[in-house]
Amino acid sequence: MNRIVQGNLLKVAGAFIFLQSAILTLAPAALARSFDAPLRWTHWIAALILGFLIILIHREIAERLPDADPFLFPTAVLLSGWGLLTIWRLDAHLGARQALWLGVSLIGLFFGLQAPDPLNSLRRYKYTILSGGFLLVILTLLFGANPMGFGPRLWLKCCGVYFQPSEPLKLLLIIFLAAYLADQLAIRAGIASLTLPTAVISGFGILLLLFQRDLGTASIFIALFTIMIYLASGRRRTLLFNAAVIVCLAVGGYYFIEIVHTRFDSWINPWEDSAGRSYQIIQGLLAVANGGIEGRGLGLGSPNEGRGLGLGSPNVVPVAVSDFIYTAIAEESGLLGTLGLLALVGLLLIRSLRAALLAPHLFRRLCAAGLASYLGIQTLLIAGGNLRLVPLTGVTLPFVSYGGSSLLTSFAALLLLLRISNPLDEEPAPLANPRPYYTLGAALLLGVFSVALANGWWAVVRGPSLLTRLDNPRRIVEDRFVPRGKLVDRNNSIIDASSGKIGALERLYAYPDLAPVSGYNHAKYGQAGLEATLDAYLRGLQGTSAATIWWDHLLYGMAPPGLDVRLTIDLTLQSRADELLRGYSGAALVLNATTGEILTMASHPTFDPNQLAETGDALQSDPKRPLINRATQGLYPTGSLLDPFAQAVTGKQSLTDAERESVYEAIGFQRTPQIQLPTAQSFSAVGLEHFHVTPLQAALAAAALSAHGIAPAPNIASAVNTPADGWVALPVLGASFEALNAPIADETAQRLIRSGDRYWSHRGRAVEGDSAVAWFIAGAPPNWGGVPIVVVVLIEEDNPQAAERIGSQLIAGAMNP
Amino acid sequence: MIAAIVLVLRLALASALYLFLAWAFLILWRELKQEGQKLAAKKPTGIVIIQKQEDSDEEQSFRFYQAEIIIGRHSQCDLSVADEALSAQHARLVYRRNLWWLEDLGSTNGTFLNDSHLTTPAVVITDDTIKCGNTFFRLQIDNDENSVHKN
Repeated sequence: MNRIVQGNLLKVAGAFIFLQSAILTLAPAALARSFDAPLRWTHWIAALILGFLIILIHREIAERLPDADPFLFPTAVLLSGWGLLTIWRLDAHLGARQALWLGVSLIGLFFGLQAPDPLNSLRRYKYTILSGGFLLVILTLLFGANPMGFGPRLWLKCCGVYFQPSEPLKLLLIIFLAAYLADQLAIRAGIASLTLPTAVISGFGILLLLFQRDLGTASIFIALFTIMIYLASGRRRTLLFNAAVIVCLAVGGYYFIEIVHTRFDSWINPWEDSAGRSYQIIQGLLAVANGGIEGRGLGLGSPNEGRGLGLGSPNVVPVAVSDFIYTAIAEESGLLGTLGLLALVGLLLIRSLRAALLAPHLFRRLCAAGLASYLGIQTLLIAGGNLRLVPLTGVTLPFVSYGGSSLLTSFAALLLLLRISNPLDEEPAPLANPRPYYTLGAALLLGVFSVALANGWWAVVRGPSLLTRLDNPRRIVEDRFVPRGKLVDRNNSIIDASSGKIGALERLYAYPDLAPVSGYNHAKYGQAGLEATLDAYLRGLQGTSAATIWWDHLLYGMAPPGLDVRLTIDLTLQSRADELLRGYSGAALVLNATTGEILTMASHPTFDPNQLAETGDALQSDPKRPLINRATQGLYPTGSLLDPFAQAVTGKQSLTDAERESVYEAIGFQRTPQIQLPTAQSFSAVGLEHFHVTPLQAALAAAALSAHGIAPAPNIASAVNTPADGWVALPVLGASFEALNAPIADETAQRLIRSGDRYWSHRGRAVEGDSAVAWFIAGAPPNWGGVPIVVVVLIEEDNPQAAERIGSQLIAGAMNP
Repeated sequence: MIAAIVLVLRLALASALYLFLAWAFLILWRELKQEGQKLAAKKPTGIVIIQKQEDSDEEQSFRFYQAEIIIGRHSQCDLSVADEALSAQHARLVYRRNLWWLEDLGSTNGTFLNDSHLTTPAVVITDDTIKCGNTFFRLQIDNDENSVHKN
């Protein structure tokens, strides 16, 4: 009967691993959206060999331990297979090593099943076991190393293989305690002799904590010790006592041991230092959030894209293969997967505790309960740590995480549990007080349940808001896989576009001089300008149907292809402005006075966003501030630019402060233009005489002269190309307003037309301290039949002639296209 | 297209995972039911208790097929005896491990098995005599291989 159950469950586990392997093979093609991608095949070899070993072991268990629990082995196979493929997907090299270790563990299990029952001799040689444990600790303290070359030295290196003694140490502790307590209880010893090893074991824990900075193992030691004493004595006092010890250790550790301090702080408030100490935990939570309910699919989440794409870190989540494998599974299998995983762990725990209760001897009973606690507590510590349920401690997820020592220990525990669950021909040992076992079971299951709730919280409740964080690297990964929408000018000439192969898409800026306006979308420097403000369209999240967004998210975990946005910019005019302005610091604007469409927006000095990777840092600290869009973010004193407006509004040139203010108010200098670009707010530096405005504000005021007194609402993005309806006009953000009386505006414009010119123009100059700026505004006359062009030029030097030269050439060209 | 294939595989994967769990829990549930049925099917051997008052020769016999018989003065007891010297719940007979066990339930006047005072649960066989208060009970257990047949 048991054989059939175990066989059937193994078949389902095999199907799971087969499907997971198939997904792993196809994932690169799915991401690249074509079969022309490097498919993964190597893991099939490992799957075949391990599958063969698993069948052998299945037969061996059925033969040698016919009454052993049929759930334990299939559950362990499913968990370790799942872990192996997840590791393989994160790093094929580590995956192969893990497969090797899994093979070694399975072979060990095979021979362990053939060997005689080790439990009795283990019990007899308990002090040898304890001494062996001591020896391991001392060896690690003396010769400890870390395979990464830094960090806690918790490994022993032997024959080129790193080995983590803290893993088998936990088993040794369980066996020793079970044997010791069973002996003591047999002679009806008092609580004093039960707690005698307290000093020894707590000493162990503290020693590890102090010298090795191994928080995880220390916590597990203390927890295991507490549980074993509680199970043996049945007294709750022991729980309280040990809880007090743990609190003391924690408080002491917090003040005297740095790593405890760090871990505790980044548990309480990880958001403070999200790029530093809590980087790992926040990236882990982002992975959980990205997994959502349904998961991205093995190989389709982002954890490994970091490696091939050179984002600077080997994986998006550091140590995703071992300490953070839970988050990798959460990202790729979703809440659906992790709930299943937790249920598997729960099954393992329940069956182990059942084996404990039915065990024929107290030693076996304590041993099984100890092993169940070990598996349960370690799972809860690391999964809870990943999910910010408890402070993070660097332990492995049993059966799942990368690591030979961890895997071997997990399988050794499995072997012992299988043996204990195969009852000898005896009745279960008498049990006077079953309550401690119920309490233990309830506590472990409650823990599993809490982890599931925390997982749901991060994946579903907090997920969407977490994913918008700027340190979410998935946006950058997405930019490499999903084409971003193009930015085109009014004649559909490309300004910015994505190019390259899927998986290595890059943003190319075809007209780099526009960079202060159009901005950039860069992995390191983020987004700026129109690339930032129009991101929702360019990324396909706005203007695409909700169903498409959902489907693409389900299939690829990414946004749909981006939508093209058409700007009002005319590249012919723009390039003329850039040529004229080159060498100066300043801005030039060409507007349609009635519609507010911005035909040209030049800001100099400019920069080349194609070179951002090399020049980004220098640009950020450049005193000339090329990253600033001077047309909307530069604030300049108005000076004599104001004169024609003052005349038009008040009828005179020299003004009182109150009159000045009314002029500003009238021509819109006190309102910030609404446009899809970052804008600076106008301000008066020292009194009203030094009112500062942006060139865009000046342009809108100038437009009022060409458009019968109406200042238009500015507009730079005119339309978006949606898949459903084609080009759709984008709304104008602001509203036009009456700046001047129409007759007065017309009259002022007429007055400003100089003889021989077809347009009105005005030169302004403003001095502030040592520096001065020159303004030039010009526009088509009010009765002009063509496009009512308005031009504004500002240069950051006392050179009105240059400003006039640039401006008059611009307007002459714009009026005679 | 490929992503759609992978999506199907992903759905199948989740199904496999939950099939595993559902199957495991189904088996657990069946096992639970089986245990219950096994327990229910485990019929104790029938027992006949012959009751006699100390001061009379009148015998009354009672046949039981249940696994637990509580003897006491209380009317709810399986074997209720109107004897002032009995406690409300005086003693019980329990069928365990294929044997009938006698156990005192903390009675005031004590329970005696074959004239010796009962301190721990003891196995009883046919023709054992139990004394509670002023009442004697003689036992006859069906098919009792342990009994010493006196004729």
